[in-house]
Amino acid sequence: MSRPSGTNIALGAWTALVFLFLFAPILVIGIYSFNGGRLLSTWGGFSLEPFTAIVDRPTVRHAVVVSLQTAVVAAVLASALGTLAGMAMARFPGRWTGPFTVLLLLVSVTPEIVDGIALLPWFVTLGQDWSLLPFSNGYVRLVIGHSLFATAVVTYIVRARLVGLDSSLEEASADLYARPVATFFKVTLPLVAPAVLAGGLLAFTLSLDNTVISSFINVSGTTSWPVYVFSAVRSGLRPEIAAVSTLLLVVTLLALGVVARVLKRSGASVTDTMAAA
Amino acid sequence: MRERPVRERAARRLPGWVLAVPAWLWLTVFFVVPFLQVAWFSLGEKPGMFGTHSNEVMSFDRYAEAFSSTFFTIFRATLWMSLIGTLACLLVALPAAYFMASKVPAHRRGLLVALVMVPYWTSFLIRTIGWKVILSSEGALAGFLTEVGLVSDPHALLNTRGAVLLGLIYNYLPLMILPLYVAFDRVDGALGEASKDLGAGRVRTFFQVTLPLARPGIIAGIVLVFIPMMGDYVTPAVLGGAKGTMVGSLIASQFLTAQNWALGSAMAVVLILLTMVVVVLAISLLWGVGWLVHRRSRLVIGLAPPPETRVRAKEVATA
Repeated sequence: MSRPSGTNIALGAWTALVFLFLFAPILVIGIYSFNGGRLLSTWGGFSLEPFTAIVDRPTVRHAVVVSLQTAVVAAVLASALGTLAGMAMARFPGRWTGPFTVLLLLVSVTPEIVDGIALLPWFVTLGQDWSLLPFSNGYVRLVIGHSLFATAVVTYIVRARLVGLDSSLEEASADLYARPVATFFKVTLPLVAPAVLAGGLLAFTLSLDNTVISSFINVSGTTSWPVYVFSAVRSGLRPEIAAVSTLLLVVTLLALGVVARVLKRSGASVTDTMAAA
Repeated sequence: MRERPVRERAARRLPGWVLAVPAWLWLTVFFVVPFLQVAWFSLGEKPGMFGTHSNEVMSFDRYAEAFSSTFFTIFRATLWMSLIGTLACLLVALPAAYFMASKVPAHRRGLLVALVMVPYWTSFLIRTIGWKVILSSEGALAGFLTEVGLVSDPHALLNTRGAVLLGLIYNYLPLMILPLYVAFDRVDGALGEASKDLGAGRVRTFFQVTLPLARPGIIAGIVLVFIPMMGDYVTPAVLGGAKGTMVGSLIASQFLTAQNWALGSAMAVVLILLTMVVVVLAISLLWGVGWLVHRRSRLVIGLAPPPETRVRAKEVATA
Protein backbone atom coordinates (compact mmCIF):
# COMPACT_ATOMS: atom_id res chain seq x y z
CA MET A 1 0.00 0.00 0.00
CA SER A 2 2.94 2.35 0.32
CA ARG A 3 6.09 2.63 -1.71
CA PRO A 4 9.31 2.00 0.22
CA SER A 5 10.43 5.63 0.10
CA GLY A 6 13.27 7.02 2.21
CA THR A 7 10.93 8.50 4.78
CA ASN A 8 9.01 5.27 5.16
CA ILE A 9 12.20 3.26 5.64
CA ALA A 10 13.36 5.72 8.29
CA LEU A 11 9.96 5.54 10.02
CA GLY A 12 10.04 1.75 9.91
CA ALA A 13 13.55 1.60 11.31
CA TRP A 14 12.57 3.97 14.12
CA THR A 15 9.53 1.81 14.95
CA ALA A 16 11.74 -1.30 15.04
CA LEU A 17 14.10 0.47 17.45
CA VAL A 18 11.17 1.48 19.64
CA PHE A 19 10.05 -2.15 19.84
CA LEU A 20 13.59 -3.27 20.65
CA PHE A 21 13.66 -0.65 23.41
CA LEU A 22 10.29 -1.84 24.76
CA PHE A 23 11.37 -5.46 24.94
CA ALA A 24 15.03 -5.10 25.96
CA PRO A 25 14.57 -5.30 29.76
CA ILE A 26 12.00 -8.09 29.45
CA LEU A 27 14.42 -10.17 27.37
CA VAL A 28 17.20 -9.45 29.85
CA ILE A 29 15.03 -10.66 32.75
CA GLY A 30 14.14 -13.77 30.76
CA ILE A 31 17.82 -14.56 30.11
CA TYR A 32 18.92 -13.77 33.66
CA SER A 33 16.32 -16.22 35.04
CA PHE A 34 18.93 -18.82 34.14
CA ASN A 35 21.72 -16.99 35.93
CA GLY A 36 23.72 -19.36 38.13
CA GLY A 37 25.46 -16.51 39.96
CA ARG A 38 24.69 -15.35 43.48
CA LEU A 39 23.51 -11.85 42.52
CA LEU A 40 21.06 -11.02 39.72
CA SER A 41 23.26 -8.45 37.95
CA THR A 42 26.37 -10.61 37.88
CA TRP A 43 26.20 -13.36 35.28
CA GLY A 44 27.54 -16.60 36.75
CA GLY A 45 26.91 -19.10 33.98
CA PHE A 46 23.80 -20.94 32.83
CA SER A 47 21.86 -22.76 35.54
CA LEU A 48 18.35 -23.90 36.42
CA GLU A 49 19.02 -23.18 40.08
CA PRO A 50 16.92 -19.99 40.19
CA PHE A 51 13.85 -22.05 39.30
CA THR A 52 14.51 -24.74 41.90
CA ALA A 53 15.12 -22.00 44.48
CA ILE A 54 11.41 -21.09 44.19
CA VAL A 55 10.53 -24.45 45.69
CA ASP A 56 13.41 -24.50 48.17
CA ARG A 57 12.95 -21.05 49.67
CA PRO A 58 9.80 -20.74 51.79
CA THR A 59 9.80 -16.91 51.85
CA VAL A 60 9.76 -16.75 48.07
CA ARG A 61 7.05 -19.38 47.83
CA HIS A 62 4.95 -17.72 50.51
CA ALA A 63 5.14 -14.30 48.81
CA VAL A 64 4.05 -15.77 45.48
CA VAL A 65 1.15 -17.61 47.11
CA VAL A 66 0.02 -14.45 48.93
CA SER A 67 0.07 -12.59 45.61
CA LEU A 68 -1.90 -15.23 43.74
CA GLN A 69 -4.53 -15.53 46.50
CA THR A 70 -4.94 -11.75 46.74
CA ALA A 71 -5.16 -11.43 42.97
CA VAL A 72 -7.98 -13.98 42.72
CA VAL A 73 -10.07 -12.39 45.48
CA ALA A 74 -9.41 -8.84 44.27
CA ALA A 75 -10.33 -9.82 40.70
CA VAL A 76 -13.61 -11.45 41.79
CA LEU A 77 -14.52 -8.47 43.95
CA ALA A 78 -13.64 -5.89 41.29
CA SER A 79 -15.55 -7.89 38.65
CA ALA A 80 -18.68 -8.01 40.80
CA LEU A 81 -18.61 -4.30 41.67
CA GLY A 82 -17.54 -3.21 38.20
CA THR A 83 -20.05 -5.37 36.32
CA LEU A 84 -23.00 -4.00 38.30
CA ALA A 85 -21.76 -0.43 37.95
CA GLY A 86 -20.99 -0.81 34.24
CA MET A 87 -24.46 -2.23 33.59
CA ALA A 88 -26.09 0.58 35.50
CA MET A 89 -24.11 3.16 33.51
CA ALA A 90 -24.97 1.61 30.16
CA ARG A 91 -28.63 0.76 30.76
CA PHE A 92 -29.89 3.23 33.34
CA PRO A 93 -28.05 6.49 32.67
CA GLY A 94 -29.34 9.52 34.48
CA ARG A 95 -28.22 12.51 36.43
CA TRP A 96 -26.05 10.24 38.63
CA THR A 97 -23.81 9.12 35.71
CA GLY A 98 -21.90 12.42 35.53
CA PRO A 99 -20.61 12.48 39.12
CA PHE A 100 -20.00 8.72 39.02
CA THR A 101 -17.89 9.06 35.86
CA VAL A 102 -15.89 11.80 37.55
CA LEU A 103 -15.30 9.48 40.53
CA LEU A 104 -14.10 6.66 38.25
CA LEU A 105 -11.88 9.10 36.38
CA LEU A 106 -10.34 10.32 39.64
CA VAL A 107 -9.74 6.73 40.75
CA SER A 108 -7.98 5.99 37.45
CA VAL A 109 -5.74 9.06 37.27
CA THR A 110 -4.73 9.42 40.92
CA PRO A 111 -1.08 8.34 41.25
CA GLU A 112 -0.86 5.07 43.14
CA ILE A 113 1.33 6.61 45.79
CA VAL A 114 -1.53 8.88 46.83
CA ASP A 115 -3.86 5.86 47.17
CA GLY A 116 -1.16 4.14 49.20
CA ILE A 117 -0.48 6.95 51.65
CA ALA A 118 -4.22 7.61 52.01
CA LEU A 119 -5.11 3.98 52.68
CA LEU A 120 -2.36 3.38 55.26
CA PRO A 121 -3.68 5.90 57.85
CA TRP A 122 -7.26 4.96 56.99
CA PHE A 123 -6.62 1.28 57.77
CA VAL A 124 -4.92 2.31 61.00
CA THR A 125 -7.94 4.45 61.90
CA LEU A 126 -10.39 1.63 61.10
CA GLY A 127 -8.35 -1.23 62.57
CA GLN A 128 -6.79 0.33 65.65
CA ASP A 129 -8.82 3.41 66.60
CA TRP A 130 -12.22 1.94 65.77
CA SER A 131 -11.23 -1.69 66.57
CA LEU A 132 -12.55 -3.04 63.27
CA LEU A 133 -10.04 -5.89 63.36
CA PRO A 134 -10.36 -7.14 59.74
CA PHE A 135 -8.68 -3.95 58.57
CA SER A 136 -5.50 -4.92 60.38
CA ASN A 137 -5.41 -8.16 58.39
CA GLY A 138 -2.85 -8.11 55.59
CA TYR A 139 -4.99 -9.99 53.08
CA VAL A 140 -8.00 -7.73 53.59
CA ARG A 141 -5.82 -4.65 53.15
CA LEU A 142 -4.22 -5.96 49.96
CA VAL A 143 -7.55 -6.98 48.43
CA ILE A 144 -9.08 -3.56 49.15
CA GLY A 145 -6.03 -1.70 47.86
CA HIS A 146 -5.96 -3.70 44.63
CA SER A 147 -9.71 -3.55 44.03
CA LEU A 148 -9.98 0.24 43.55
CA PHE A 149 -8.40 0.83 40.14
CA ALA A 150 -9.52 -2.64 39.01
CA THR A 151 -13.17 -1.78 39.75
CA ALA A 152 -12.87 1.29 37.52
CA VAL A 153 -11.30 -0.80 34.73
CA VAL A 154 -14.02 -3.48 34.86
CA THR A 155 -16.71 -0.79 34.89
CA TYR A 156 -15.27 0.84 31.74
CA ILE A 157 -15.02 -2.48 29.89
CA VAL A 158 -18.51 -3.71 30.83
CA ARG A 159 -20.04 -0.34 30.01
CA ALA A 160 -18.28 -0.23 26.64
CA ARG A 161 -19.56 -3.73 25.83
CA LEU A 162 -23.17 -2.96 26.75
CA VAL A 163 -23.26 0.40 25.01
CA GLY A 164 -22.22 -1.46 21.87
CA LEU A 165 -25.17 -3.86 22.15
CA ASP A 166 -28.69 -2.57 21.74
CA SER A 167 -31.14 -3.44 24.45
CA SER A 168 -33.67 -5.28 22.28
CA LEU A 169 -32.93 -8.67 23.86
CA GLU A 170 -33.59 -7.31 27.33
CA GLU A 171 -36.76 -5.66 26.04
CA ALA A 172 -37.91 -8.93 24.56
CA SER A 173 -37.27 -10.65 27.86
CA ALA A 174 -39.28 -8.00 29.69
CA ASP A 175 -42.08 -8.19 27.11
CA LEU A 176 -42.27 -11.91 27.78
CA TYR A 177 -42.95 -11.08 31.42
CA ALA A 178 -39.57 -12.11 32.81
CA ARG A 179 -38.92 -10.38 36.09
CA PRO A 180 -36.02 -7.89 36.06
CA VAL A 181 -33.93 -10.29 38.18
CA ALA A 182 -34.52 -13.14 35.72
CA THR A 183 -33.74 -10.83 32.79
CA PHE A 184 -30.55 -9.82 34.52
CA PHE A 185 -29.30 -13.35 35.12
CA LYS A 186 -30.58 -15.00 31.94
CA VAL A 187 -30.11 -12.26 29.34
CA THR A 188 -27.91 -9.36 30.40
CA LEU A 189 -25.27 -11.32 32.29
CA PRO A 190 -24.57 -13.79 29.44
CA LEU A 191 -24.33 -10.79 27.10
CA VAL A 192 -21.69 -9.08 29.22
CA ALA A 193 -19.89 -12.30 30.22
CA PRO A 194 -16.97 -11.81 27.79
CA ALA A 195 -16.42 -8.28 29.09
CA VAL A 196 -16.63 -9.49 32.70
CA LEU A 197 -14.07 -12.20 32.00
CA ALA A 198 -11.77 -9.76 30.25
CA GLY A 199 -12.10 -7.21 33.04
CA GLY A 200 -11.60 -9.84 35.71
CA LEU A 201 -8.42 -11.16 34.13
CA LEU A 202 -7.07 -7.64 33.74
CA ALA A 203 -7.89 -7.02 37.39
CA PHE A 204 -6.01 -10.22 38.23
CA THR A 205 -2.86 -9.14 36.38
CA LEU A 206 -3.07 -5.61 37.83
CA SER A 207 -3.26 -7.06 41.33
CA LEU A 208 -0.39 -9.46 40.69
CA ASP A 209 1.76 -6.48 39.68
CA ASN A 210 0.73 -3.97 42.33
CA THR A 211 3.81 -2.67 44.13
CA VAL A 212 3.18 0.83 45.37
CA ILE A 213 -0.11 0.52 47.25
CA SER A 214 0.91 -2.89 48.60
CA SER A 215 4.21 -1.66 50.00
CA PHE A 216 2.42 1.04 52.01
CA ILE A 217 -0.35 -1.11 53.47
CA ASN A 218 1.89 -4.16 53.91
CA VAL A 219 1.48 -6.13 57.13
CA SER A 220 4.43 -8.38 57.98
CA GLY A 221 3.48 -12.01 57.46
CA THR A 222 1.42 -11.27 54.36
CA THR A 223 4.09 -9.76 52.14
CA SER A 224 3.04 -9.96 48.51
CA TRP A 225 5.54 -10.88 45.79
CA PRO A 226 6.16 -7.37 44.36
CA VAL A 227 6.69 -6.01 47.88
CA TYR A 228 9.21 -8.79 48.52
CA VAL A 229 11.02 -7.90 45.28
CA PHE A 230 10.89 -4.18 46.03
CA SER A 231 12.50 -4.67 49.44
CA ALA A 232 15.10 -6.93 47.80
CA VAL A 233 16.09 -4.00 45.55
CA ARG A 234 17.70 -2.46 48.61
CA SER A 235 19.02 -5.63 50.25
CA GLY A 236 20.29 -7.39 47.11
CA LEU A 237 18.49 -8.91 44.13
CA ARG A 238 18.93 -12.63 43.58
CA PRO A 239 18.41 -14.56 40.30
CA GLU A 240 15.29 -16.36 41.55
CA ILE A 241 13.51 -13.02 41.41
CA ALA A 242 14.02 -13.06 37.64
CA ALA A 243 12.90 -16.71 37.50
CA VAL A 244 9.63 -16.07 39.35
CA SER A 245 9.02 -12.96 37.23
CA THR A 246 9.48 -14.94 34.05
CA LEU A 247 6.94 -17.49 35.23
CA LEU A 248 4.50 -14.75 36.27
CA LEU A 249 5.00 -13.06 32.90
CA VAL A 250 4.04 -16.30 31.17
CA VAL A 251 0.90 -16.50 33.37
CA THR A 252 0.05 -12.86 32.56
CA LEU A 253 0.56 -13.36 28.83
CA LEU A 254 -1.64 -16.46 28.88
CA ALA A 255 -4.33 -14.46 30.70
CA LEU A 256 -4.03 -11.65 28.14
CA GLY A 257 -4.16 -14.18 25.33
CA VAL A 258 -7.44 -15.49 26.74
CA VAL A 259 -8.75 -11.92 27.00
CA ALA A 260 -7.84 -11.20 23.39
CA ARG A 261 -9.45 -14.46 22.24
CA VAL A 262 -12.66 -13.87 24.15
CA LEU A 263 -12.97 -10.27 23.01
CA LYS A 264 -12.26 -11.20 19.42
CA ARG A 265 -14.90 -13.91 19.47
CA SER A 266 -17.41 -11.55 21.05
CA GLY A 267 -16.74 -9.02 18.32
CA ALA A 268 -15.10 -6.25 20.32
CA SER A 269 -11.70 -5.07 19.18
CA VAL A 270 -8.91 -5.33 21.73
CA THR A 271 -7.74 -1.84 20.88
CA ASP A 272 -11.12 -0.34 21.64
CA THR A 273 -11.33 -2.08 24.99
CA MET A 274 -7.82 -1.03 25.90
CA ALA A 275 -8.58 2.51 24.81
CA ALA A 276 -11.64 2.40 27.05
CA ALA A 277 -9.52 1.12 29.90
CA MET B 1 -37.68 5.22 21.67
CA ARG B 2 -38.02 1.50 22.01
CA GLU B 3 -35.86 1.38 25.12
CA ARG B 4 -38.46 3.05 27.26
CA PRO B 5 -40.65 0.10 28.27
CA VAL B 6 -37.71 -1.76 29.84
CA ARG B 7 -36.61 1.23 31.77
CA GLU B 8 -40.07 2.05 33.04
CA ARG B 9 -40.83 -1.49 34.02
CA ALA B 10 -37.52 -1.85 35.81
CA ALA B 11 -37.98 1.51 37.45
CA ARG B 12 -41.26 0.46 39.05
CA ARG B 13 -39.57 -2.32 41.01
CA LEU B 14 -36.11 -0.92 41.65
CA PRO B 15 -34.36 2.07 40.14
CA GLY B 16 -31.52 0.96 37.84
CA TRP B 17 -28.85 3.10 39.43
CA VAL B 18 -29.08 0.88 42.52
CA LEU B 19 -26.75 -1.47 40.62
CA ALA B 20 -23.99 1.14 40.84
CA VAL B 21 -24.44 1.67 44.59
CA PRO B 22 -22.02 -1.08 45.75
CA ALA B 23 -19.18 0.25 43.58
CA TRP B 24 -20.03 3.80 44.57
CA LEU B 25 -19.98 2.97 48.30
CA TRP B 26 -16.80 0.92 47.96
CA LEU B 27 -14.92 3.70 46.18
CA THR B 28 -16.26 6.31 48.58
CA VAL B 29 -15.18 4.41 51.70
CA PHE B 30 -11.78 3.32 50.39
CA PHE B 31 -10.86 6.13 48.01
CA VAL B 32 -12.68 9.38 48.75
CA VAL B 33 -12.77 9.20 52.56
CA PRO B 34 -9.10 8.15 52.93
CA PHE B 35 -8.12 11.06 50.70
CA LEU B 36 -10.22 13.49 52.76
CA GLN B 37 -8.46 12.16 55.84
CA VAL B 38 -5.10 12.95 54.20
CA ALA B 39 -6.30 16.48 53.46
CA TRP B 40 -7.36 16.80 57.12
CA PHE B 41 -3.99 15.47 58.40
CA SER B 42 -2.15 17.96 56.21
CA LEU B 43 -3.56 20.79 58.33
CA GLY B 44 -2.21 19.28 61.55
CA GLU B 45 1.28 18.62 62.88
CA LYS B 46 3.58 15.86 64.13
CA PRO B 47 3.26 15.76 67.92
CA GLY B 48 6.61 14.92 69.49
CA MET B 49 8.86 11.99 68.74
CA PHE B 50 6.44 9.08 68.71
CA GLY B 51 3.17 10.43 67.31
CA THR B 52 2.47 10.40 63.58
CA HIS B 53 -0.12 13.19 63.40
CA SER B 54 -2.26 15.47 65.51
CA ASN B 55 -4.92 17.97 64.58
CA GLU B 56 -5.09 19.86 67.88
CA VAL B 57 -3.44 22.89 66.38
CA MET B 58 -4.68 23.63 62.88
CA SER B 59 -2.46 25.56 60.50
CA PHE B 60 -1.03 25.74 57.01
CA ASP B 61 2.47 25.35 58.47
CA ARG B 62 3.00 21.92 56.89
CA TYR B 63 2.42 23.46 53.47
CA ALA B 64 5.02 26.11 54.24
CA GLU B 65 7.34 23.28 55.26
CA ALA B 66 6.61 21.37 52.05
CA PHE B 67 7.62 24.48 50.10
CA SER B 68 10.81 25.03 52.11
CA SER B 69 14.00 24.99 50.06
CA THR B 70 15.00 21.35 50.82
CA PHE B 71 11.76 19.89 49.60
CA PHE B 72 11.09 22.50 46.95
CA THR B 73 14.29 21.53 45.11
CA ILE B 74 12.94 18.00 44.80
CA PHE B 75 9.52 19.24 43.66
CA ARG B 76 11.24 21.29 40.97
CA ALA B 77 13.46 18.39 39.91
CA THR B 78 10.43 16.07 39.72
CA LEU B 79 8.54 18.59 37.61
CA TRP B 80 11.47 18.97 35.21
CA MET B 81 12.06 15.23 34.93
CA SER B 82 8.37 14.61 34.24
CA LEU B 83 8.17 17.42 31.67
CA ILE B 84 11.30 16.25 29.85
CA GLY B 85 10.18 12.62 30.17
CA THR B 86 6.72 13.37 28.74
CA LEU B 87 8.20 15.36 25.85
CA ALA B 88 10.70 12.57 25.12
CA CYS B 89 7.89 9.99 25.19
CA LEU B 90 5.94 12.12 22.72
CA LEU B 91 8.90 12.50 20.36
CA VAL B 92 9.79 8.80 20.52
CA ALA B 93 6.18 7.62 20.17
CA LEU B 94 5.02 10.01 17.42
CA PRO B 95 6.92 8.51 14.44
CA ALA B 96 6.29 4.94 15.64
CA ALA B 97 2.55 5.47 16.19
CA TYR B 98 2.25 7.24 12.83
CA PHE B 99 4.08 4.40 11.09
CA MET B 100 1.91 1.77 12.78
CA ALA B 101 -1.34 3.53 11.94
CA SER B 102 -0.72 4.64 8.37
CA LYS B 103 2.12 2.62 6.79
CA VAL B 104 1.68 -0.89 8.18
CA PRO B 105 -0.86 -3.09 6.32
CA ALA B 106 -4.17 -3.11 8.21
CA HIS B 107 -4.17 -6.81 9.08
CA ARG B 108 -0.81 -6.55 10.88
CA ARG B 109 -1.71 -3.53 12.99
CA GLY B 110 -3.51 -5.52 15.68
CA LEU B 111 -0.41 -7.61 16.30
CA LEU B 112 1.78 -4.51 16.69
CA VAL B 113 -0.68 -2.93 19.12
CA ALA B 114 -0.71 -6.18 21.13
CA LEU B 115 3.10 -6.11 21.17
CA VAL B 116 3.08 -2.55 22.53
CA MET B 117 0.76 -3.73 25.29
CA VAL B 118 2.88 -6.70 26.38
CA PRO B 119 5.46 -4.56 28.23
CA TYR B 120 2.65 -2.45 29.66
CA TRP B 121 1.04 -5.50 31.25
CA THR B 122 4.36 -6.95 32.38
CA SER B 123 5.27 -6.15 35.95
CA PHE B 124 6.31 -2.50 36.13
CA LEU B 125 8.80 -3.28 38.89
CA ILE B 126 10.39 -6.18 37.01
CA ARG B 127 10.84 -4.17 33.82
CA THR B 128 12.57 -1.47 35.84
CA ILE B 129 14.79 -4.11 37.46
CA GLY B 130 15.58 -5.29 33.91
CA TRP B 131 17.05 -1.84 33.24
CA LYS B 132 18.96 -2.05 36.50
CA VAL B 133 20.60 -5.24 35.19
CA ILE B 134 21.31 -3.65 31.79
CA LEU B 135 22.83 -0.52 33.32
CA SER B 136 24.73 -2.25 36.12
CA SER B 137 28.50 -1.86 36.31
CA GLU B 138 28.96 -5.60 35.62
CA GLY B 139 26.63 -5.49 32.60
CA ALA B 140 27.67 -5.78 28.97
CA LEU B 141 26.57 -2.22 28.20
CA ALA B 142 28.81 -0.63 30.83
CA GLY B 143 31.70 -2.83 29.67
CA PHE B 144 31.19 -1.84 26.04
CA LEU B 145 30.85 1.87 26.76
CA THR B 146 33.99 1.85 28.93
CA GLU B 147 35.88 -0.09 26.26
CA VAL B 148 34.89 2.39 23.55
CA GLY B 149 35.75 5.24 25.89
CA LEU B 150 32.31 6.87 26.05
CA VAL B 151 32.28 6.61 29.83
CA SER B 152 35.34 6.48 32.04
CA ASP B 153 33.76 4.63 34.95
CA PRO B 154 31.47 1.56 34.58
CA HIS B 155 29.56 2.77 37.66
CA ALA B 156 28.58 6.00 35.89
CA LEU B 157 25.37 4.60 34.35
CA LEU B 158 23.26 3.44 37.28
CA ASN B 159 22.06 5.58 40.18
CA THR B 160 21.95 8.79 38.19
CA ARG B 161 19.26 11.24 37.14
CA GLY B 162 19.80 10.03 33.59
CA ALA B 163 19.02 6.44 34.56
CA VAL B 164 15.79 7.54 36.27
CA LEU B 165 14.79 9.58 33.21
CA LEU B 166 15.46 6.59 30.94
CA GLY B 167 13.35 4.40 33.24
CA LEU B 168 10.50 6.95 33.25
CA ILE B 169 10.49 7.24 29.45
CA TYR B 170 10.61 3.47 29.12
CA ASN B 171 7.89 2.71 31.65
CA TYR B 172 5.30 5.12 30.29
CA LEU B 173 6.07 4.90 26.56
CA PRO B 174 3.24 2.39 25.82
CA LEU B 175 0.77 4.82 27.40
CA MET B 176 1.87 7.42 24.84
CA ILE B 177 1.99 5.12 21.81
CA LEU B 178 -1.53 3.70 22.26
CA PRO B 179 -3.59 6.94 22.24
CA LEU B 180 -1.42 8.37 19.45
CA TYR B 181 -1.97 5.21 17.42
CA VAL B 182 -5.73 5.39 17.95
CA ALA B 183 -5.72 9.07 16.97
CA PHE B 184 -3.69 8.56 13.77
CA ASP B 185 -5.79 5.52 12.95
CA ARG B 186 -8.94 7.65 13.06
CA VAL B 187 -7.59 10.43 10.84
CA ASP B 188 -9.35 10.04 7.53
CA GLY B 189 -6.84 9.15 4.82
CA ALA B 190 -8.92 11.03 2.26
CA LEU B 191 -8.08 14.33 3.96
CA GLY B 192 -4.38 13.68 3.47
CA GLU B 193 -5.02 12.80 -0.18
CA ALA B 194 -7.02 16.01 -0.60
CA SER B 195 -4.19 18.02 0.91
CA LYS B 196 -1.69 16.44 -1.51
CA ASP B 197 -4.06 17.00 -4.44
CA LEU B 198 -4.19 20.65 -3.49
CA GLY B 199 -0.44 20.82 -3.86
CA ALA B 200 0.82 20.47 -0.30
CA GLY B 201 3.94 18.34 0.12
CA ARG B 202 4.04 15.33 2.42
CA VAL B 203 5.71 17.21 5.24
CA ARG B 204 3.26 20.07 5.01
CA THR B 205 0.33 17.63 4.88
CA PHE B 206 1.60 15.89 8.01
CA PHE B 207 2.08 19.09 10.01
CA GLN B 208 -0.98 21.00 8.78
CA VAL B 209 -3.54 18.21 8.32
CA THR B 210 -2.67 14.95 10.07
CA LEU B 211 -1.04 16.29 13.22
CA PRO B 212 -3.78 18.84 14.07
CA LEU B 213 -6.42 16.13 13.54
CA ALA B 214 -4.56 13.83 15.94
CA ARG B 215 -4.55 16.51 18.65
CA PRO B 216 -7.02 14.75 20.98
CA GLY B 217 -4.74 11.70 20.99
CA ILE B 218 -1.68 13.83 21.71
CA ILE B 219 -3.44 15.49 24.64
CA ALA B 220 -4.63 12.11 25.97
CA GLY B 221 -1.10 10.70 25.71
CA ILE B 222 0.45 13.66 27.50
CA VAL B 223 -2.08 13.44 30.35
CA LEU B 224 -1.74 9.64 30.65
CA VAL B 225 2.04 9.84 30.81
CA PHE B 226 2.65 13.01 32.79
CA ILE B 227 0.35 12.31 35.76
CA PRO B 228 1.81 8.93 36.79
CA MET B 229 5.35 10.19 36.09
CA MET B 230 4.90 12.97 38.65
CA GLY B 231 3.87 10.45 41.29
CA ASP B 232 6.30 7.68 40.37
CA TYR B 233 8.07 6.13 43.29
CA VAL B 234 9.31 2.78 41.99
CA THR B 235 11.49 3.99 39.10
CA PRO B 236 13.59 6.44 41.15
CA ALA B 237 13.91 3.89 43.97
CA VAL B 238 15.24 1.20 41.64
CA LEU B 239 17.36 3.22 39.20
CA GLY B 240 18.16 6.45 40.99
CA GLY B 241 19.70 5.40 44.28
CA ALA B 242 20.31 8.45 46.41
CA LYS B 243 20.67 10.83 43.45
CA GLY B 244 17.35 10.35 41.72
CA THR B 245 14.98 11.24 44.55
CA MET B 246 11.56 12.35 43.33
CA VAL B 247 8.53 13.67 45.21
CA GLY B 248 7.11 10.15 45.45
CA SER B 249 10.14 8.94 47.39
CA LEU B 250 9.94 12.03 49.60
CA ILE B 251 6.29 11.41 50.49
CA ALA B 252 6.96 7.72 51.05
CA SER B 253 9.78 8.45 53.46
CA GLN B 254 7.56 10.81 55.48
CA PHE B 255 5.03 8.01 55.93
CA LEU B 256 7.31 5.00 56.24
CA THR B 257 10.49 6.22 57.96
CA ALA B 258 10.10 9.76 59.35
CA GLN B 259 6.57 8.90 60.60
CA ASN B 260 5.49 12.47 59.94
CA TRP B 261 2.04 11.91 58.44
CA ALA B 262 1.09 15.57 58.61
CA LEU B 263 4.01 16.70 56.45
CA GLY B 264 3.68 13.70 54.11
CA SER B 265 -0.03 14.50 53.63
CA ALA B 266 0.71 18.14 52.83
CA MET B 267 3.29 17.03 50.27
CA ALA B 268 0.80 14.65 48.66
CA VAL B 269 -1.80 17.43 48.39
CA VAL B 270 0.81 19.78 46.87
CA LEU B 271 1.81 17.05 44.40
CA ILE B 272 -1.78 16.58 43.24
CA LEU B 273 -2.43 20.32 42.92
CA LEU B 274 0.85 20.91 41.07
CA THR B 275 0.10 18.05 38.66
CA MET B 276 -3.38 19.37 37.98
CA VAL B 277 -2.15 22.91 37.34
CA VAL B 278 0.52 21.72 34.88
CA VAL B 279 -1.95 19.46 33.05
CA VAL B 280 -4.48 22.28 32.68
CA LEU B 281 -1.75 24.67 31.50
CA ALA B 282 -0.41 22.16 28.99
CA ILE B 283 -3.85 21.43 27.55
CA SER B 284 -4.70 25.11 27.19
CA LEU B 285 -1.31 25.72 25.58
CA LEU B 286 -1.90 22.96 23.04
CA TRP B 287 -5.38 24.23 22.24
CA GLY B 288 -4.03 27.77 21.99
CA VAL B 289 -1.30 26.76 19.55
CA GLY B 290 -3.82 24.76 17.54
CA TRP B 291 -6.17 27.72 17.41
CA LEU B 292 -3.40 30.06 16.22
CA VAL B 293 -2.29 27.64 13.50
CA HIS B 294 -5.89 27.21 12.46
CA ARG B 295 -6.43 30.96 12.27
CA ARG B 296 -3.32 31.48 10.17
CA SER B 297 -4.06 28.72 7.71
CA ARG B 298 -7.79 29.47 7.49
CA LEU B 299 -8.92 29.78 3.93
CA VAL B 300 -11.87 31.90 2.96
CA ILE B 301 -13.07 31.06 -0.51
CA GLY B 302 -14.11 33.93 -2.74
CA LEU B 303 -13.47 37.65 -2.45
CA ALA B 304 -13.42 39.35 0.92
CA PRO B 305 -17.03 39.04 2.03
CA PRO B 306 -19.03 41.97 3.35
CA PRO B 307 -18.76 42.36 7.16
CA GLU B 308 -22.12 40.72 8.03
CA THR B 309 -21.32 37.46 6.19
CA ARG B 310 -17.79 37.28 7.55
CA VAL B 311 -19.01 35.59 10.71
CA ARG B 312 -20.66 32.85 8.71
CA ALA B 313 -17.53 32.30 6.62
CA LYS B 314 -15.60 31.78 9.84
CA GLU B 315 -18.13 29.23 11.00
CA VAL B 316 -17.73 27.35 7.76
CA ALA B 317 -13.98 27.45 8.15
CA THR B 318 -14.13 26.10 11.70
CA ALA B 319 -16.55 23.38 10.70
